[in-house]
Amino acid sequence: MAYYQRTYVLCYFCQIVNNKFAAKSENNKVCKCYQNIKKLLSIKFKNFIRSQSELRRKKFVCLIYKCKFYVKVESLIIEAMPSEIITLQLGQCGNQIGFEFWKRLCLEHGISPSGVLEDFATDGVDRKDVFFYQADDDHYIPRAVLLDLEPRVIHSIMSSPYAKLYNPENVYLSKHGGGAGNNWASGYSQGEKLQEEVFDIIDREADGSDSLEGFVLCHSIAGGTGSGMGSYIMERLSDRFPKKLIQTYSVFPNQDEISDVVVQPYNSLLTLRRLTSCADCVVVLDNTALNRIATDRLHIQNPSFTQINTLVSTIMSVSTTTLRYPSYMNNNLIGLTAPLIPTPQLHFLMTGYTPLTTDNDQTVNVRKTTVLDVMRRLLQPKNMMVSTGPDKTNHHCYISILNIIQGEVDPTQVHKSLQRIRERKLAQFIPWGPASIQVALSRSSPYVQSSHRVSGLMLANHTSICSLFERALGQYDKLKKRGAFLDQFRREDIFKDDLSELDDSRDVVDCLVQEYEAATQSNYLQWSAKKGQEEAH
Amino acid sequence: MSRNVLDSGGCGDASEGGRGDYKDIYELLAELCKHLAGPSENHREILRHVTQYISNCPTALGSTLPFDETSILTKITHHLDSSAAKSVTSNLCSAGSQFGATGSDCAHSAGETSSAINNSALFLKFHEQLKAALPDEHQRTALLTFLYFMSDSKYSTDNGHNVGNVKSHRSQLMASTNSAFQSIRSHLLHKTSSQQQPQHSILPVNNRARNEESVKPMVSGRSAFSRMTPENDPTGGNCGVIHGVNFPSLHADGSKSLDLQNNVNDDIVQNIIYVFTGIQGKYLKKDVISGRFKLDSKVKSLNVVQAGMLLRLSELGYYHDLVQSYTDSKSGLCPLGLMGQGFVSALKKELTRYYGMVATLQEQLNRQRDHEHNTILRGNSIIPMRHERLTLMKILVWSVDALKRLQWLATIAEACQEKKGGALASTVHSFLNNGNPTVKSLVRELLLAICGPLYQMLSHWLLEGEICDPHGEFFIECLAEVGPDRLWHDKYRVRIAMLPNFMSTEMAHKILVTGKSINFLCEICEDKRPVKGRDELRLCIEENADHIFSRVADTKLHSTIDAIYLNTSKRVLDIVMGPHKLLEHLQAMRRYLLLGQGDFIGILMENLKCELDKPAKELYSYDLSSIMDAAIRSTNAQYDDPEILNHLDVRLLTPCDGDIGWDILSLQYTVRGPLATMLEPCMGIYQILFKPLWRMKHMEFVLSSKIWKDQKCNAKPLRAMGSELNQVLYRLHLLTSEMIHFIHQMQYYILFEVIECSWAELQDRVQSAKALDDILDAHDEFLNAIKCGAFLDSNSGQLCQNMENVYDGIIRLELWQNKFYEICFKELSARKEYENHICISEEAGEFGVTAERQLERDQERKIFEQIIGSYHKSLDNICADYEKAVRCFLLALNSHNDHNLQLFGIRLDFNEYYKKRDQRLCVPLTFEHMRMSIMFNGNKSLAGSRYSVVN
Repeated sequence: MAYYQRTYVLCYFCQIVNNKFAAKSENNKVCKCYQNIKKLLSIKFKNFIRSQSELRRKKFVCLIYKCKFYVKVESLIIEAMPSEIITLQLGQCGNQIGFEFWKRLCLEHGISPSGVLEDFATDGVDRKDVFFYQADDDHYIPRAVLLDLEPRVIHSIMSSPYAKLYNPENVYLSKHGGGAGNNWASGYSQGEKLQEEVFDIIDREADGSDSLEGFVLCHSIAGGTGSGMGSYIMERLSDRFPKKLIQTYSVFPNQDEISDVVVQPYNSLLTLRRLTSCADCVVVLDNTALNRIATDRLHIQNPSFTQINTLVSTIMSVSTTTLRYPSYMNNNLIGLTAPLIPTPQLHFLMTGYTPLTTDNDQTVNVRKTTVLDVMRRLLQPKNMMVSTGPDKTNHHCYISILNIIQGEVDPTQVHKSLQRIRERKLAQFIPWGPASIQVALSRSSPYVQSSHRVSGLMLANHTSICSLFERALGQYDKLKKRGAFLDQFRREDIFKDDLSELDDSRDVVDCLVQEYEAATQSNYLQWSAKKGQEEAH
Repeated sequence: MSRNVLDSGGCGDASEGGRGDYKDIYELLAELCKHLAGPSENHREILRHVTQYISNCPTALGSTLPFDETSILTKITHHLDSSAAKSVTSNLCSAGSQFGATGSDCAHSAGETSSAINNSALFLKFHEQLKAALPDEHQRTALLTFLYFMSDSKYSTDNGHNVGNVKSHRSQLMASTNSAFQSIRSHLLHKTSSQQQPQHSILPVNNRARNEESVKPMVSGRSAFSRMTPENDPTGGNCGVIHGVNFPSLHADGSKSLDLQNNVNDDIVQNIIYVFTGIQGKYLKKDVISGRFKLDSKVKSLNVVQAGMLLRLSELGYYHDLVQSYTDSKSGLCPLGLMGQGFVSALKKELTRYYGMVATLQEQLNRQRDHEHNTILRGNSIIPMRHERLTLMKILVWSVDALKRLQWLATIAEACQEKKGGALASTVHSFLNNGNPTVKSLVRELLLAICGPLYQMLSHWLLEGEICDPHGEFFIECLAEVGPDRLWHDKYRVRIAMLPNFMSTEMAHKILVTGKSINFLCEICEDKRPVKGRDELRLCIEENADHIFSRVADTKLHSTIDAIYLNTSKRVLDIVMGPHKLLEHLQAMRRYLLLGQGDFIGILMENLKCELDKPAKELYSYDLSSIMDAAIRSTNAQYDDPEILNHLDVRLLTPCDGDIGWDILSLQYTVRGPLATMLEPCMGIYQILFKPLWRMKHMEFVLSSKIWKDQKCNAKPLRAMGSELNQVLYRLHLLTSEMIHFIHQMQYYILFEVIECSWAELQDRVQSAKALDDILDAHDEFLNAIKCGAFLDSNSGQLCQNMENVYDGIIRLELWQNKFYEICFKELSARKEYENHICISEEAGEFGVTAERQLERDQERKIFEQIIGSYHKSLDNICADYEKAVRCFLLALNSHNDHNLQLFGIRLDFNEYYKKRDQRLCVPLTFEHMRMSIMFNGNKSLAGSRYSVVN
């Protein structure tokens, strides 16, 4: 390219910068001509372009295209942006843990509550675009959609210092404002009614990201909004975005205390059905276990929601750390979940985290964390965030394990620890396929000071999780036998004709339990064949 | 030792007494040498020495004492009485008196003149003292004989009027006798030297008072002593012969005959002086072959002594010739090059010194002649004469030192011929380790002269980085044809042949690196600041030139060179790590070429997949690099230094037939300038490493983003056909999870345990590096470790092959799955359509479908089920093949001799799934097991590794 042309382009660009010309709709063309122009222009110019924000970059390029400066367009190349993830927060619980999650992310990425990058965090090696996008004024906005049917939690979020963080268009409150009354059916049908408005938001978000990788859903399975509306949205999502992953962080109810939600077994079962059939990966957060950990391990007498939610947010943030701090492996959601989930049904994951500490914990300074120490402790049931109950038959086993280890880790130590665990047979694995503890070494945020040298999160696919479903089934059966509290369900459309939805759900969950049981046996493959034949008959 | 042998040899021969029959003597000599040297082989050598000695001193063989004590005593007294020259006697007396305890008092009486009777009386008195001091008659006799001969011979050469000359000459002999006697006495009487010590020290002083040549007496004294042992005293014998020959001329006692004698002597002396400078004369001719001088057979006038002396002295001439020939560039023998010139000039300097000595002799001779001429002109009056006479004996004494020196020079020069540069210095240096301080200093001088040019070259190289070496003498050479991009690695090297042996290889390396660094800085980094420590080095070389010969490298010169090396290295490091960002570039290469930047690689793969699925020939790097740029911009790579990103590029390898894009794509890190100079040789290795890593990543991408994701997404719609498909699907899922497990473990192993661990090590070493080479070496090791870890080294061929088989399984599965889902969805849509049709027809009141349509549908369904059946079979095949491949891989890992790989094998089969299914994997790592596995694999490369284990 001749020199004068190059100068011409540069001059032209200066004009554009001054005019702040906007061009929104021509994304494709932008990509096309951007590629070509970029090739031609000097490195200096390239760097100039690079230094601009994404949106502005596109505007520039688009203008060039409009000028017909470079017409020879050979191939259409669509730029793939980093695999973005959209977070959906549903209901009281979902919004609360979501709020904690974003707080934590902001802290780790050095983003202030108003979304502005802190001065100390400008040269980070982290990848913020997975969970955030940048507005025109360069401040970071979470790719989050906040949905609720009652205003309480969202109001409290919007009056917190983090209010400015969220895109207000993404916060949806039902105008009706009455909530779902802890009724799955009510939440489900309200979700159906509100779907257009909700999916307007979700579609807009999805369009705003170049290569959406999937959705993360935060909700509880026992309440009304999170379970009912969540179920509906999950169904629609898997219809509308068949190629996108749906990951959920599902909070299971506390079994140790008597819930004030009487229809909780119904809610749980109905949600479990959707989790089984629509979600691709469910991270189970069992309130029972979380509370136990809080009282037993952290020595908090009456753990508050915030304390529990801190635990949850830790798990959520660490489980996404390989996405946010790219390294050799597991840098996208698929890479993270594919090795954990062998068959589409077995997608319920447990988590464990160590070392667990609170601010007033005195044991912190006593403990010296090593990789072996962390990995061994992760395998102890008391550190699991799922209460599976005592395994009487002792036949349950790990289908897969992924340990995300953060901190000062020497890879050779990891190897030694694995050998040790294998020799001691600390973990029992499935007999029907190769399985092992996979390790992802991840950087941790430089802005959050940890008192531990090494910390680890375990994402595990363990067959004993079915005891959770069995328990839900048992409670459901008890309630169903008495036919209690079915009236409020019958009021809604989905149960107007009959209660077959409940029975179907029971079948699905029962089937899931059977599948997990079968997965403990070495003839899992034959079982599946048998199952297929049974279904055929 | 050899001297003793010679002496005793001479003694033995003397006792035999034979004189005429040389052949007999030779045989006897040979036998004696054999006897003395024992069974070892060197008796020939000794024999050679002995015969040489005898030929040099032909009189050595006839030295039995001819007189007894009394007769000699009478003779002396008689001589003293009859002698006209009293001074001789007085001298004798003084000499004799010095043997006694009170002798020192009489020393000054030497110059006094006293009556003959007094003299004889004095002598007798002395004899009494001597008798008291020396009880051994035999020795006394020897001493007296010697004294007699001495006085006699002096008398014979003394023509009476040049007393001063005689005096000084005599004092020499006296001193020699004196010291010799003292040694004998101290030896015989077992006295401590406390008494004699002062005398010893006084004597030279006395002599110096009388003689200008102060050194010579000592030398001659020493040489006299060496010959003065009783029984076999060659000098004594010599004197005897001289006496025998000259006595008649004494009795002739005509001044004319004396003059004649002197003239003849002078002539001989003149001749020998000529010979000293290599000129043939009347008496001595050069042997054409050996170059040695030999007596001219035509000259008959020489007596035996003179002949012997001449021959002996002629040796000096021979060595002179020899040394001179080495200094002559035309002879072709002299060393070459600048350092050779240094050597030659040193030789010439030595020769000049030697000529100085010869000139002194000549001068003496001339003066002596002039003087004689003058005296003849003036008449026969006796004028005190200060000049002593120049005799062969004296010249012999003079020549001892010079001979030694010339001999050594000749030896050294001979060893050095046709050598140059460092080799020359090495050769000369090997002579430095000599116990003799004279030789040592001689060699040192030579060496310093040789090293003059070396020092210049060295300081030029150390400070400017230039080689001024027209003759190829310097131990560092520059390969002119090597371009700047290989400057660091190949352009300069140590010339081992030219490395002086006093320079350690380590030192040479440091020097090499220093100059190379300067060149690197100047030419490549364009940093032309002068080197620090320039003056220090110059000063140091000037002051401590010989430090370089030190055995231990701890001298000031060494430390200065060290300091310059460290300085320069540090400058190179600073420049390379600072403005040229070596570490950042290494990091970038790890991140981009070794896939450290996972998100970038992931996105790049995602973006490239459409392009790369095309056949290789339809690809243009133009498109690809724009895609890569896009990937950079959309990942964290965008925050990287743009300067570094500019180095990154996509390269397409030359495609072979049937290649698709995946096979030929390669990321490239273009290095320029200093970076290229440093890293160019490694770029090939990066290229080699990139391929398997990229392939592995590709496999992971295929498995998770294609196979697994499709399964996930298709599971929901296909649930409706679960009854037919479940069996196949489960098989598919399980196989996929098996593969994903394998690939993930594999990746973890290579990326974390191999690359990351080696990288940590590299970083440590970079931090502690003192020179650029430290970093480059560490980097090479880093790459090598990865090469081994990624099964790319020579003894992992089997592993690589097995891994390819595993990958093949994955590719086959992908193709299979695509077709499988295609068929399933076709069937699914056909069913939906069929059902819709039924619905519509029901609504239209047409009551379902026709029998024909239903039949058709059933037919299709049956075909579908058949197809699924066949797909199931082919999936089973893929499964079986894959499992076989994995097992082979595990088996190869287990029998690999690298412990890490064995452990990796265990990791791959963490829950012993494969072990339970394959008996061979259960067998512990024994020799038997290895043998079996090798038999199974039938691979020779493994056989090689087995032996290495056994060994």
